[in-house]
Amino acid sequence: MQGSSEEQPPEPREDATRPNPKLEPTEQDEPEEAVRREAPLAADAHAAHDDHGLAHTMPVWMLVAVLGALMGLTILTVSVTSFDLGAEGNLVVAMVIATIKAALVVTFFMHLFWDKKFHLILFLTAILFVILFLSMSITDRGEYQHNIDVYQSTNAAAAK
Amino acid sequence: MASPSATADVVAPRSSSSDNYLTHDKGVLSWIFTLDHKRIGVMYLCSVLFAFALGGFFALLVRTELLTPGKTIIDHDTYNQMFTLHGAIMVFLVIIPGIPAALGNIIMPLQLGAKDVAFPRMNLASYHLWIVGAVFMLTSLAINAVDTGWTFYTPYSTTTSTAVVPAAFGAFILGFSSIFTGLNFIVTMHKMRPPGMTWFRLPLFCWALYSTALIQVLATPVIGITLLMMIIERTVHIGIFDPTLGGDPVLFQHFFWFYSHPAVYIMIVPAFGVIGEIIPVFSRKRIFGYKFIAISSLAIAFLGFLVWGHHMFVSGQSVLAGTIFSAITFLIAIPTAIKVFNWITTMYKGVIHLDTPMLYALAFLWVFTIGGLTGVFLAVMSVDVHLHDTYFVVAHFHYVMMGGAITAFMGGLHYWWPKFTGKVYDEKFGRFGALLVFIGLNVTFFPQFILGSRGMPRRYYNYLPEFQPLHVLSTIGAYTLGLGFLLTAFYLWKSIKSGKKAAANPWGGATLEWQCSSPPPYYNFHKAPVISAGPYDGYENLMYDEAVGGYVPRKSSST
Amino acid sequence: MSESTSESAASAAHKGGHGAPAPAHGGHDAHGGHDAHGGHGGPHLAHHFDTYQQQFDAGKLGIWLFLQTEVLFFSGLFCAYTVYRGMHPEVFVYAHYFLNTTMGAINTCVLLISSLTAAWAVRNAQLAQRKLLVLNIIITIACACTFMVVKFFEYEHKFHDGLLPGPAFHPTEQVWELESFKHKHPEAAEYAEKLTKAAEAKEHAKAGAKPGEAAEAVVVERPTEEQLEPLIKAGVIGPLAEDQTRPSKPRNAHVFFGIYFFMTGLHGIHVLGGIGVFIWLLLRANKGEFGPKYFGPIDYAALYWHLVDLIWIYLFPLLYLIH
Repeated sequence: MQGSSEEQPPEPREDATRPNPKLEPTEQDEPEEAVRREAPLAADAHAAHDDHGLAHTMPVWMLVAVLGALMGLTILTVSVTSFDLGAEGNLVVAMVIATIKAALVVTFFMHLFWDKKFHLILFLTAILFVILFLSMSITDRGEYQHNIDVYQSTNAAAAK
Repeated sequence: MASPSATADVVAPRSSSSDNYLTHDKGVLSWIFTLDHKRIGVMYLCSVLFAFALGGFFALLVRTELLTPGKTIIDHDTYNQMFTLHGAIMVFLVIIPGIPAALGNIIMPLQLGAKDVAFPRMNLASYHLWIVGAVFMLTSLAINAVDTGWTFYTPYSTTTSTAVVPAAFGAFILGFSSIFTGLNFIVTMHKMRPPGMTWFRLPLFCWALYSTALIQVLATPVIGITLLMMIIERTVHIGIFDPTLGGDPVLFQHFFWFYSHPAVYIMIVPAFGVIGEIIPVFSRKRIFGYKFIAISSLAIAFLGFLVWGHHMFVSGQSVLAGTIFSAITFLIAIPTAIKVFNWITTMYKGVIHLDTPMLYALAFLWVFTIGGLTGVFLAVMSVDVHLHDTYFVVAHFHYVMMGGAITAFMGGLHYWWPKFTGKVYDEKFGRFGALLVFIGLNVTFFPQFILGSRGMPRRYYNYLPEFQPLHVLSTIGAYTLGLGFLLTAFYLWKSIKSGKKAAANPWGGATLEWQCSSPPPYYNFHKAPVISAGPYDGYENLMYDEAVGGYVPRKSSST
Repeated sequence: MSESTSESAASAAHKGGHGAPAPAHGGHDAHGGHDAHGGHGGPHLAHHFDTYQQQFDAGKLGIWLFLQTEVLFFSGLFCAYTVYRGMHPEVFVYAHYFLNTTMGAINTCVLLISSLTAAWAVRNAQLAQRKLLVLNIIITIACACTFMVVKFFEYEHKFHDGLLPGPAFHPTEQVWELESFKHKHPEAAEYAEKLTKAAEAKEHAKAGAKPGEAAEAVVVERPTEEQLEPLIKAGVIGPLAEDQTRPSKPRNAHVFFGIYFFMTGLHGIHVLGGIGVFIWLLLRANKGEFGPKYFGPIDYAALYWHLVDLIWIYLFPLLYLIH
């Protein structure tokens, strides 16, 4: 167990995006100008690929298309209110449309489709916890609403 | 020649021990605007210890008042303010930031092998936010100290005439301090590990801090919005929590405990991490069940979010909800027990060194187990009906918080003291202090279990004469505890003034922080270290060197 | 001396790599770690990061974690909303007539456009298209300001109409007098008017009955479904109404407005914060700081902005499109 690994080369790295500066030439020594001047050409040629540069670049047509969809859904959600689907029905439809819009924003504008899976997990976890929080509170609320109503009416009666 | 120097990386060592992070820059401004995680950690440490002294002062006031039924030294309204301040200060200013912000900030990047945390400016902001939050809390103290209990239950908190808003707003700000710390730690551990530092080579302290950080990020915003809602309710009377305005006071409890239960795991999980560091080193034996301990931290963090209702069994909560919460609370005992068993197994057939950090760790095992088990009693709904809001609950949480979190904090403080101060404290005093603290906390809080099970309610100023002997005993314990801490403060302070210089590795640890000098240099590691072994491997390669006052690698025979 | 020996030896025996603490390159090392590259490592590359990719990834993870906290922050308010709407649907039906759906829809569209320009700005930064970047940021800020202006007018109307939270809730108009109510339920509005007149006449008669003068009886015929249902749903008449003798508002109607102001107000504060951040980024973008190696701040601010938009996407139907 003594000095077993010092003479060997370093272990293969887990994360390929973090090169050890000692082992690889870096781009950091390039002058600023060169970096920026090259970029527009290089980036345009690779606009659709996400392995050049630090992250994937959204094409303009996609951005505008998503906006179009979002606007359309907004118009839809407003016009649906003129139909009566029952109190619950309207709420459900409104929430479904809102969720579709949200999904579009998150996937495209917020880039999650091309991003690390972990960020998606983070986002979904947050939503999951919100659902957990809401569901327990609502379940419980039904239990003692009666007490509050009684309290309020006795109070109101006493006040009069 | 087998002097196994790593590569050409190793430059001929030069004695520049005078330049370390403490001496690197001079002046108050260099501390206030520092971006160095070690300095931020030290500032946090001083602030947290100061707040601990303040909270302890209020505790002693409370205990002194309880020496006799009826008035002893303060009147009943003041008493309410005293226990509220004690609780609020201890929870929000001391224990929640405590180990992560003070010890974690100094040690975690070193253990990782990183140069700093991911967002040093956010780290500094986190500290400054702590200060702002503390100022708001002290403002409440100055105006008309809040008297609602640290839990701020409505409708009392929305109607009392004491200064609730500054205190609640202070806690709100402290929440952001906590979130920033947690966020920083998560990103640091994901993105700044050096080559070879895989997740399962992280020290257990890092795993604990990571799990804690997850809780901090997910739970703290909820207390933020809750406190904000309570403040708005109090000032604008919108009618969310006040029943006279159509509100629901129990909804506040759901909101409050959704954070505050995970918060207690923010308090204890880092403590588990500290113990996980101390025990292998002072048993000279590799930790048993590393993966289990690591994963159990995550499990506790996750399960901690599902049990908040066990604080609300008697609030009018539905029986269905209560049953679910009760069952899941039992479950949390499992990963916790796994940790305790693994630590004990680590010690088995090890060579135990009873230095001060180990004394605190052993005390932790005993005291935390009592605290944790009594938590399981309280998780039983039928038992909780009798014990809720009695001293049994007070004893339970003080056993886990004082006996658990603070004891581990003290252990970690002593363990890493030579590292970040570069000085050695007097071991004899250290052991005596640990003994006083251990005796003090048991004498203070064990009688409270008995008081509670006999019906003594908590937060009560007055009580039946039959409870007096146990109260007196508890107060004697509190003073002993205070004495123990005073003694600790004294010899630690003395060590800074005139202590012996510390070696790089006085305890023989194998984690990375022991690779750099004591105190560490400003930049942590000159080159990113290459990791090829686990954090608890290789104790047999170290031997104690009298001349250095610490552990050095065992020289191989061919030298 | 012995200290450094033990260090280098200790490190060699265990984890290798890290050697002497003392930099051979000079005593003072302000940045640490990057001496091999001569000090900084590159423009806009923080000293504790090794590569631009690492810096970018760290920032991305950081902002996603922050967004998580924002989601949970707002969740408390969504929870309060859900609980109250579940328990008191009539309050919500009553109150929504007072809100201007058109303004809400305008605000939704404005925010969506600003989301587009923010996402586009990220693309511009990645491609170092400085002029477009500046333009997109300006449009984003302009849209955000438009949002706040519309919001300001909405709030002003509410103040003017006495629709304030808590005890300050004194609506100047009855709900059935509102255009939005009359447009949707003309029969119900008429019926409510009649009932009110009848109640007033009764009181008038009770209060000042002169002997001999026959009280003017106002006859109100039996209501139809169309006349009755919207009023009951809104808690104007029926068991949930505040005043049982005449059409009025439902009990605790003010709670809706408390929630409304809290949710939109908190959202508005976040919009203001976003405006501040974008102004700061605008100044930096104008100086040409962003390029393919360094566009993180634009990306992170845009992500924050999208979240602000997301929250509004849910607030809009929940507050303005109640049926």
